[in-house]
Amino acid sequence: MAGVEGSPGSSMHGVTGREQSFAFSVTSPAVPTDTTAKFDLPVDSEHKAKVFKVFSLANPHMRTFHLSWISFFTCFVSTFAAAPLVPIIRDNLNLTKSDIGNAGVASVSGSIFSRLVMGAVCDLLGPRYGCAFLIMLAAPTVFCMSFVNSAGGYLAVRFMIGFSLATFVSCQYWMSTMFNSKIIGLVNGTAAGWGNMGGGATQLIMPLVYQLIKRSGSTSFSAWRIAFFVPGWLHVIAGILVLTLGQDLPDGNLGALKKKGDAAKDKFSKILWYAVTNYRTWIFVLLYGYSMGVELSTDNVIAEYFYDRFDLNLHTAGLIAACFGMANLVARPFGGYSSDFAARYFGMRGRLWVLWTLQTLGGVFCIWLGRANSLPIAITAMILFSIGAQAACGATFGIIPFISRRSLGIISGLTGAGGNFGSGLTQLIFFSSSSLSTAEGLSWMGVMICSCTLPVAFVYFPQWGGMFCPASKDVVKSTEESYYASEWDEEEKQKGMHQNSLKFAENSRSERGKRIASAPTPPKTTPSHV
Amino acid sequence: MATARALLVASLVLSCFLFPCYGTVLFSSLQRTLEVTASPTSQQVLKAGVDKITVTWGVNQTLPAGTDSSYKTIKVKLCYARISQVDRPWRKTVDLLKKDRTCQHKVAARPYNPANRTSQSLDWTVARDVPTATYFIRAYAYDADDKEVAFGQTTDANKTTNLFQVQAISGRHATIDICSICFSVFSVVSLFGFFYNEKRKAH
Repeated sequence: MAGVEGSPGSSMHGVTGREQSFAFSVTSPAVPTDTTAKFDLPVDSEHKAKVFKVFSLANPHMRTFHLSWISFFTCFVSTFAAAPLVPIIRDNLNLTKSDIGNAGVASVSGSIFSRLVMGAVCDLLGPRYGCAFLIMLAAPTVFCMSFVNSAGGYLAVRFMIGFSLATFVSCQYWMSTMFNSKIIGLVNGTAAGWGNMGGGATQLIMPLVYQLIKRSGSTSFSAWRIAFFVPGWLHVIAGILVLTLGQDLPDGNLGALKKKGDAAKDKFSKILWYAVTNYRTWIFVLLYGYSMGVELSTDNVIAEYFYDRFDLNLHTAGLIAACFGMANLVARPFGGYSSDFAARYFGMRGRLWVLWTLQTLGGVFCIWLGRANSLPIAITAMILFSIGAQAACGATFGIIPFISRRSLGIISGLTGAGGNFGSGLTQLIFFSSSSLSTAEGLSWMGVMICSCTLPVAFVYFPQWGGMFCPASKDVVKSTEESYYASEWDEEEKQKGMHQNSLKFAENSRSERGKRIASAPTPPKTTPSHV
Repeated sequence: MATARALLVASLVLSCFLFPCYGTVLFSSLQRTLEVTASPTSQQVLKAGVDKITVTWGVNQTLPAGTDSSYKTIKVKLCYARISQVDRPWRKTVDLLKKDRTCQHKVAARPYNPANRTSQSLDWTVARDVPTATYFIRAYAYDADDKEVAFGQTTDANKTTNLFQVQAISGRHATIDICSICFSVFSVVSLFGFFYNEKRKAH
């Protein structure tokens, strides 16, 4: 399924997110094991691991996994490090609510662009250097926080730190060089989920560090500045670990990767065209803005909300806020797993319903969170909201690999960018002005989540159906082959460039759910040379 | 049976009145019986951590005796003026005192003896965690149950006159700045060092 690097349909421009299944391992007849290779894990013919052993540090596959998610985690810690300290920072810098809101928007906006560039950087330098360059060049921006004197400076520094969230791309890219595509779904989902946990961990770490520094004699206005050295150092340490312990490919050869990358035979403009003209892409960009996007927005406002509304002290508010982000440990994989589970019985229709249900429930609990007047109810609502939103993120990436085979990289990249854009938008509308209290902002955000999740009802795959419509009865249109082959024009089909898409189509028949047996194979689309 | 139940209900209802009801005092219900003056002149700018404020407070002598019989403690606080509350909901003025966020900085808390009605005064160095803003001083009188019963402030009822400003410390230190620069340089240099070293080894 992965094909050779650079072959048509395997584009990595943007982000890769080949998350088709959540299997832990691939059995041998399905993908042959290369028995000549001497690795700790069984590998396939490209030396990519076929098994995902979470608690192993075996070089190079599992070690890469851990280096990858840790570097992504570090960037989340630094991007959201200011959030739990805002009650102190707002007094030191004399910030208004709009200053705080705008800085929150800035913190998630930078990575919209850096993610798009990161794909190209990984193509050029390899994921190891791509990751290391990003984290180590972002370290000075984190240290810069200690110089900030005004609202403008605060906004600028948060914007620059936010660029580091592009480690998501290097993380996923690096995973796909190390793991077989049949298990890449679980691997990428786990790495993304554990990385996102950084947004929760930081709400715990920063107030604790701040208290320790204050206790050792510093004033509050100096203590928060010194506290920022912790995420700064995490960047440097993670970068050094990636450089010294990591390698680009299972065989450790950066040069080979460069050669294959240059041989990309598919045209970028064509890939972009098929991504942009597929209406499903845009529905998922919107949807991800209201699952991942609201998660990021909440990371930015929730600690300050608990501090102000319930009169808690800084580290108690931080502890509660941390529960929101830390739920990612299980919530995101749970979402992916539910999607796969529903797909077994109902195919793609099941996946769509699961996504709609999880995301809408998240929205409902968000409305409840804003309206909760007592602390225990607010905490309960927050935890349920976090599970709904984060599981919806996982479920989204259960569907994305099926939207397109040719343009998967770009669609994943656009979706990721949509997440950040949604976050910036919600923070701008609901949390930047004094006319709306944070509590009202949260409730309205919940309403917006529910409304922006409705478009998933319009997603329709002719071969599998949609939420309300069954699969097409048309003999030609109702095949997976016709859907995926439609991304190639006649000239390209003549050259046989669509072969990988056809192979993928055959393997995606599992998305019919229990109807697999009834799938006909129309004679016209049988590949002439396999 | 019925009488036992009636007794139980009655005792439950009555017991609610026995507990003093905290958190229900409204600012509008307080009487302005305290006279509070502070040393900063109108529009004066004070430096946090450096400048001192001398606050003097006492019960208004023209009021009849017995007005202050319930006062047990006087707490003096630094409060935000209206201009410093704009677009900052965490400093909002709310009538319910439990939720009111106008006065967030404690200056002093002194016990009060109604028998001795002379004014008290205090020298207070502006704390280093006081933010840059416009302020006035307010004193609350508390009774034995720690409930607010009266107040006094240096400004008028509309909080427009006799306001002063505080210039906060920046929190920045030369040491922090230098460490910041050193660590940043280390990060960039080690990255490029590693990169060129590996490139060199590859050739």
